[in-house]
Amino acid sequence: MRNMLRIARWEFRNRVRTRSYLFNTFISPLIFTMLFLLPLYFTTHQPDTSVKLIGVIDLSPEKNIANKLSNALNRSYKLENTLSQYGIYTISIKNAPAYRELSSELKDIEAQYDSLNRLHNRIKQERTAYFTQKATPNRQFSLNRSYERLRKVREEKELVSIELQRYRTAMDSLYAREARVVADSMIINNVLSAYLLFPSDFIKSGRIEYHSRSTADLLDSERLEKTLQNLIIRSRLQELNLGTRKVRELMRPVHLDKYKIRGNNEESWNIYAQFYGPLIGVFLLFIAIFTSGGYLFSGMMMEKANRILEVLLSYAAPGEIMGGKILGLGTVGLTQVLIWLFITFLLNSGGIISGGSLSYLTFENALYFLLYFSLGYLFFGAIFIMFSSIFSNEYDAQQVNQLLRIVAIFPVLLSLLVVINPNSFWIRLLSYVPFLTPSFMILRIPLSGQPLTTDIIITTGIMLFSIAVIIWISGRLFRVTTLMMGKKPSWSEIIYWIRHSK
Amino acid sequence: MGKKKTVEKEALLLKVDSVHKEFIDTTAVEDVSFKVEAGRVFGLLGPNGAGKTTIMRMIMDIVRPDSGDILINGSPRPGLPRNRFGYLPEERGLYAHARVLELLVYFGTLNHMPRRKAEVEAIRFLDRLGLIDYSDYPVHYLSKGMQQKVQFIAAFLHKPDILILDEPFSGLDPINQIALREILNDFKKEGKLIILSTHQMEMAEKMCEHVCMIHQGRLIVDASLNEIKKRFRDNTYLLEADHALETLQMMDKVDVLEAGSNGIKFRLSSGLDSGDLLRIVSSKHLVRHFQMFEPSLHDIFIRLIQQEMEEHHA
Repeated sequence: MRNMLRIARWEFRNRVRTRSYLFNTFISPLIFTMLFLLPLYFTTHQPDTSVKLIGVIDLSPEKNIANKLSNALNRSYKLENTLSQYGIYTISIKNAPAYRELSSELKDIEAQYDSLNRLHNRIKQERTAYFTQKATPNRQFSLNRSYERLRKVREEKELVSIELQRYRTAMDSLYAREARVVADSMIINNVLSAYLLFPSDFIKSGRIEYHSRSTADLLDSERLEKTLQNLIIRSRLQELNLGTRKVRELMRPVHLDKYKIRGNNEESWNIYAQFYGPLIGVFLLFIAIFTSGGYLFSGMMMEKANRILEVLLSYAAPGEIMGGKILGLGTVGLTQVLIWLFITFLLNSGGIISGGSLSYLTFENALYFLLYFSLGYLFFGAIFIMFSSIFSNEYDAQQVNQLLRIVAIFPVLLSLLVVINPNSFWIRLLSYVPFLTPSFMILRIPLSGQPLTTDIIITTGIMLFSIAVIIWISGRLFRVTTLMMGKKPSWSEIIYWIRHSK
Repeated sequence: MGKKKTVEKEALLLKVDSVHKEFIDTTAVEDVSFKVEAGRVFGLLGPNGAGKTTIMRMIMDIVRPDSGDILINGSPRPGLPRNRFGYLPEERGLYAHARVLELLVYFGTLNHMPRRKAEVEAIRFLDRLGLIDYSDYPVHYLSKGMQQKVQFIAAFLHKPDILILDEPFSGLDPINQIALREILNDFKKEGKLIILSTHQMEMAEKMCEHVCMIHQGRLIVDASLNEIKKRFRDNTYLLEADHALETLQMMDKVDVLEAGSNGIKFRLSSGLDSGDLLRIVSSKHLVRHFQMFEPSLHDIFIRLIQQEMEEHHA
């Protein structure tokens, strides 16, 4: 027993001082965390580098929506450099020849209408004078004549008015058509990101057309929809003469605070922090298990190759050597985990990461991390000892090492499924497989809404049993196979050794 | 500790009793028995693959025999404390990055030496073997010979009662061979039990008082060196005399084996006494040297192996 502690102490001292240990303790986790967080940072914080130009075709008589929209967007969406994220471009085709021609004709008709109108008014004034000045000679005749004129002028005016209306409608439709042609070409030439077409009655009907190259730019269309909704409702309210203050009060924005249901305590939910935190945890667990497990493996392989093991076997019992190595390198891993937990604690108390929003940063979960690290390390460590006893060829041994790493990191591939339902049947079943238990449980514990006490007890039991079985087999193989050199043993030989080892 | 003292009072006796060990497809050791007494250097000889290392590992309790016992003063080996044994395996290895003194202290403490004592003893031995200047160097800085000396120190740092050395002289230069022999002689004088294996017969002849020869897992000879030499004396003589070759060749019962510048090596058949022969030769020639030729361990070894192989084939 004392020799076991001496061996453990030697292994610990010799490993903790190595450069690879320092790298795996401080640099690897940093790299892993960066790998996770950088893409996340960029997708959420990536600044829009250019202003998006949105075209506006306004067919309404007021022609003021473009201004209002521009102001509203300017208030709400700004770029890093404080420029507005959206620019509004009013599409005008007033200089287009067809429109200009129509427009000049319209002007003639309008002038005609105006003169008719003036004439109509003058006749009306004349008639008023005839009515009031009863002493006017030929009054009745004048009245009759003027009435005749008035009737004619009115008829003519109505005809011109119809003509005017016809021209206006034609012009509107021409305007809309021409403006759309212009706007479409501007989108195709990437001048505009999108354009909005406001029909003349859009305030009443609430229907606005949104044209863009692709309908997948959900973010933009949602923002425009939201802004326009506000503007239009504001206009409708203003028409009710409610007063600016009242309108502002009614238009007070609604903000959705997002919460996740967790038992009785509701707390805010951030998918990235909630998901990537445990995932980083799994990677750290993986680094810790395979750093110390890897030392165990490479150490055994080296000592086998240079025959130190034979010297050690002459000083200490095989059980003491195995136990000492597992204990010593386990302490190496445990130190690593404790360093990480300490760093997390420091970051948390220093306010660099917010423990308040990361509900899984609890003392209890730290203990679970230590538990599953210990179980995982003992399990994989015992397997490493077993394989390093069997293999004497570094190449074969490395293949096994790679295979074990892939198996252990496998739960990360299923991490999305764990997020969706951490307690589904298959996920639970897979957590009972000793190779996968530590990674799955470290993912599940923080993600699961309810306490996993039963699963923790079951998996701990399974792990302890598996560890006992593998250590027993390793122990039986260790004495016989560690001194074997050269050839790769067959399965029948391995079984023979397990059965006949003394 | 009490037990150790009583063991020191009565002479140590190691008994290998009908030990048998098989590996999957080979019999490594077949029913081997021998005794080793303290105060004499015991040589375990045999060609490569004879089973010497397996026997040594069994004595060290690194490998357990399938049947048979290994007893030290009557106590079975597995129950005995490991620190009573010192072992130098055939293939040497040390932690390449560890510092020499640190490593020796570690090995010393594994043999239950107090740390301080291990340090003092290690320094003493490093000094004796001329390595004191390297005590703070990492092992991989040292030459192969130096590393080997570090390994010797590791084997006997804790002053074991029983020293098992597998091919201790291989790869060692003559100066260091002498230094090692001196240390082993000191241990012998202290009444320690020393077993060494070698296939260098000259070294075995110089070092061992008792030898055991193993071939293909079987014991073929177990006797003291003198006894073996006596047994294999075959009436061969060495004569140095002027122009005596012709005379010898003409004699009936003389079979000339070798004639060189140093003299003539010949075997006498029964019926002719060496005294008579000397008289005849000296009456005719000037005899400068006449001696009974003792076969070397090397010759005996080869003859035995050949004999064993013939018997085995028959």
